Amino acid sequence: MQFSDVENCAERMSVQKKVLIVDDSPAQVKLIQSLLEPEGYWPVGLSDPRRVEEAIAMERPCVILLDVVMPDRNGFQVCRELKSNAEFNSIPVILVTSKDTASDRYWGQQQGADGYVTKPFTREELLRAVRRFA
Amino acid sequence: MRNTNVLILTDDAEFARLLTACWQVERQLPGICLVTSEFWKEADTSSPDLIVVGPLKDGKLGDVLRSMEPNTALILCAPSEAGELGLLRKKYPKLLHVPLREDWTQVVLLLAGESLRRTEALKLARQAERHAAQYANQATLGRYMYDMKHNMNNALTSLLGNAELLLLEPGGLSAQSLAQIKTIHTMALRINEVMQRFSSLASELREGETQSQVETEEVNSTSTPRR
Repeated sequence: MQFSDVENCAERMSVQKKVLIVDDSPAQVKLIQSLLEPEGYWPVGLSDPRRVEEAIAMERPCVILLDVVMPDRNGFQVCRELKSNAEFNSIPVILVTSKDTASDRYWGQQQGADGYVTKPFTREELLRAVRRFA
Repeated sequence: MRNTNVLILTDDAEFARLLTACWQVERQLPGICLVTSEFWKEADTSSPDLIVVGPLKDGKLGDVLRSMEPNTALILCAPSEAGELGLLRKKYPKLLHVPLREDWTQVVLLLAGESLRRTEALKLARQAERHAAQYANQATLGRYMYDMKHNMNNALTSLLGNAELLLLEPGGLSAQSLAQIKTIHTMALRINEVMQRFSSLASELREGETQSQVETEEVNSTSTPRR
């Protein structure tokens, strides 16, 4: 890495807000990244929900966008475990999911989620949810 | 009983006249067809719900019975030997025998009424079974659709999001491409509306089901137990 790269990286870190996107579908991760980047966010994608804590510890995001229906560890589980962990519970979690019933929303809230966006979402809906926290 | 058909098979004109006249006095009348043993095989009887066999010419009864389906509902109005009747009953489990006594018309009408009511009830039960099977198929389709909703929404997210991304920077696109992307975006939104309506319908059905369940439980708890 050259000095200018390090400088750019440091500048980016000081200005841009990092958003961790957790979704098992790489296409969805890429899409959300593409929607957030032009708005000045620094989106970081993660497709394996088992590595969320590891990714948070490394990336220190301002907000987490979390899918619900994922193999191995679903979004409700991840959210519940993050919110009961003193190290991570201050980071806002927005559930981004195709589960759209009132009971799903309620259950998400019960797990400590700070926001809820249902798929399919419009660009505006997603940005509105992220802007509440970052 | 209006949708049922009765075939009266006899060579005795007086028997046929008397039975028909008695039936016509009844409140509910089935479709009645009269035929003699001579034209029995040629006649288009279009599978009657009940056959009433009256007095026939000598030796015709055996022929007539042999040509019938064993499951045909049958009332036999004839003087018969007890042994012969036993044999006939074995072959035709639905056969009823009415001896030609003074009150035979009343007995025939009573038995025929019961037989036709049973036929009607069976028809209704079969119809209900067919409907239940149809509804079960539709429910399977609905369940499949509901299970697929998640995949559908994920696909729609990509469709909508990527269309929006392309529309954000339309500079490099031709007017035709732009119009096509706008169409994709509009159609994706329309599919989304359809899916949302489907979801709300599913919620309403669930709600309705819960309410009716509560009502049923309330009715059950208030009704007195029978002994």
